[in-house]
Amino acid sequence: MKKRIISLLLAITVMAGTVFSGCGSDTSAATDPNTIVIWHDKEDAVAEVLQEKLNTLNPEITVVLEKKSDLTESLKMVGNDPKSAPDMYIFAHDKIGVYAEMGILSPITDIIPEDELSVYMDETLDAATYKGEIYQLPIYYETLLFMYNRLYMKDDEVPTTTEELYTYMTENTAGGHYGFVEQHSTPYYAAGWINGFGGEILDADGNATLDSQAVIDALTYHKKFVDLMPGETEYATVNTLFSSGMAHATIAGPWMIPTVKENGMDVGVAAMPVIDETGTPIAPYMGVQGVQVLKNAAENKSEAVEKVLRVLMDPQVEVDLAEASGCAPANESCYELDEIKNDEVVMMMRQTADHAVPMPNLPEMDVMWTVLGNLLTDVNLSGNDITESVSDAQSQAESLIQSMQ
Amino acid sequence: MKKIWRKFSVVLLAALFAVLTVPAAAFATEVSATAEGMRLIYANVPEDWASPCVWAWNEAGDTAFAAWPGEAMDADASNAGWYYLYVPDWADHVIINANAGEVQTEEIVLESGNAWITVTDAQTFDATTEQKTSGDLPEYVETFKIHAKVDESWENPCLWAWSAPDGTNAFEAWPGQQMSAGEDGWYTTKAPTWINSIIVNGNAGEVQTEDISVDPAELWLTISADGAYELSYVDPELAEIPNITVHVQAPADWDTPNLWAWSAPDGTNVYTTWPGEALESNGDWLTKEIPGWVNSIIVNANGGEVQTSDISIEAGKDVWVVVSSADEFELYYEEPAATETVDAAGATESTEAPETRKEKSNKMPIVGGVIGVVAIAGIAGGTAYAVNKKKKSA
Repeated sequence: MKKRIISLLLAITVMAGTVFSGCGSDTSAATDPNTIVIWHDKEDAVAEVLQEKLNTLNPEITVVLEKKSDLTESLKMVGNDPKSAPDMYIFAHDKIGVYAEMGILSPITDIIPEDELSVYMDETLDAATYKGEIYQLPIYYETLLFMYNRLYMKDDEVPTTTEELYTYMTENTAGGHYGFVEQHSTPYYAAGWINGFGGEILDADGNATLDSQAVIDALTYHKKFVDLMPGETEYATVNTLFSSGMAHATIAGPWMIPTVKENGMDVGVAAMPVIDETGTPIAPYMGVQGVQVLKNAAENKSEAVEKVLRVLMDPQVEVDLAEASGCAPANESCYELDEIKNDEVVMMMRQTADHAVPMPNLPEMDVMWTVLGNLLTDVNLSGNDITESVSDAQSQAESLIQSMQ
Repeated sequence: MKKIWRKFSVVLLAALFAVLTVPAAAFATEVSATAEGMRLIYANVPEDWASPCVWAWNEAGDTAFAAWPGEAMDADASNAGWYYLYVPDWADHVIINANAGEVQTEEIVLESGNAWITVTDAQTFDATTEQKTSGDLPEYVETFKIHAKVDESWENPCLWAWSAPDGTNAFEAWPGQQMSAGEDGWYTTKAPTWINSIIVNGNAGEVQTEDISVDPAELWLTISADGAYELSYVDPELAEIPNITVHVQAPADWDTPNLWAWSAPDGTNVYTTWPGEALESNGDWLTKEIPGWVNSIIVNANGGEVQTSDISIEAGKDVWVVVSSADEFELYYEEPAATETVDAAGATESTEAPETRKEKSNKMPIVGGVIGVVAIAGIAGGTAYAVNKKKKSA
């Protein structure tokens, strides 16, 4: 089965490589052993810190950070073409499986000895590992956070359990204000509830597990919270409701905090409420951002690649990123530093990471986002029977995974 | 079916809230800054200037309040004839107005710090940072507005407000603070943001609501004779109008067309910052969904450097606007029968005469310069913001 996936991905890559060869990146950079091109999709604050650090390699090595809004699709198309592909890319870990199966990635341990990676949090290395190989050098990670508007929710009112949260919602949802809102029908957000019930979307072998009892229990329990939220809760609506003071609390990414603070909100962050039914906190996905090395660069520019990686392994890079953009360092030693210990948001992500689940990095996950999204719509918005809905979704997922082969 | 409708209604309401609250929230958060970020505006106005208000903005065109005539000033009990109001300290341009915006000063540019403004008449004022009042300055108290529409049997409605569970009262004695009557039938007053419980009462406290738990955010209460109430954090009269979609065709050389939208004459803007938001490609049209209460729009492009004049539209109706140039547009309330191509030179080519043409360009001249801005503000203060934006981008 896996071989057939590999064959398919390889065919796409070869075809795309043929189509795209001759266009795209500067071919002189592609062949210059002392020029490293890194694709990324990061915000300016992150890119600026990275570029500044990587510039320390000048003039021996020139590192070009190239922002690509369509990074993942572009890599699928040109990843196997040395003339068009970057040497490295910085992105979340969840696409590692796709590119590893395409055969365009080099294990990081081909360049940096594995024992040197022990400085990183275990969760980040787990996320970076696909089929026993570590394909990513972790830099920082993100988890969703429970955040609240102190104008409405006082520190001593922050719910520690989901039943406390539910009570708070019933008492404070009126007149167009909401006690709590979240993107309840978006898979990335709903996954926290599923994980908290011990469920999962895919098992370790890439099989869909949407019809498990844990998923059914999670969706059933979660529904009563959904009923106290607006029906439409896509990204913009939830962010607007919270940032405009129409919602007391939310679960959102750390990237939201600078915006609401800029608007004058006294925003607090807190640990995820513990689900009363399971005794486990809501366990959001963890996304680990790091650098991946393309096989061609590892083979032909190994010296320069290693120097770039070693710059990025400097803990100060992660400290600077935390300061610039609230990134939670992947290097465990950073959490001993005052700059990090005094950062409330980063430390809350560290706490949340204890229960967070790394996003699956299997290729099959690509189809599961859509299937789970449809399932959540059926259950939360259409009010369909949960057991029937998960059964339908499971069948759909199995069919789609089958079609990938 | 009922369930589906209920859910649909909630979706609509949420979407409406999301749209309606963006500008209001921005203003709310700006005004709710701590005292360190505020400045005190004092004004002494002519005797026939009733209920003075402050309209405030900065050079960038950010306004401190959602709508003209701005925020009402409080009388200083220790200094007869003087009224005061805290505004964000970034708001260094103000207009003092009164009589519901019917009389006003010219634009007053402030130095940093508190200001004492003596208004002799609409054309004459003196502004200084030197304290003109006696005694201590009033303490800054962050407040929010409470509106109530009461049954006609309720006279002189008052607000009673307190913090639960500690029971600290906002006002000295029952029945509390009298609410001011507005022309729209709503009574309004302000309460400090530390309260979380209110009662609205009438007839000197003889009739009243039950205790109402509230968030410290602007709210509206519709109260019936028996004291039953409906609470909303969105103006119920605005919430009744569904969103509309604006469809635009712009000249080919207009880069990234944006929509700027507002309600005239109250001046409530949909977007906080000029040039508004980018129109989205949707087939042959660029489109944007906006609140149904909007009755005025401007299409602009190139970061706001090129724009139409003000385009008046009927509230609550979808519109189609074909912009030929900065000076010319055509407005429809149904999609034109033929798609028109607008070339870079602004000429309009049509393969078929539109059947539903309703209105031609009003060709309102774009006002430039500070005097022009103030003049327009004097006629319709709410428009001042839009004109400011145009001035800025011109």
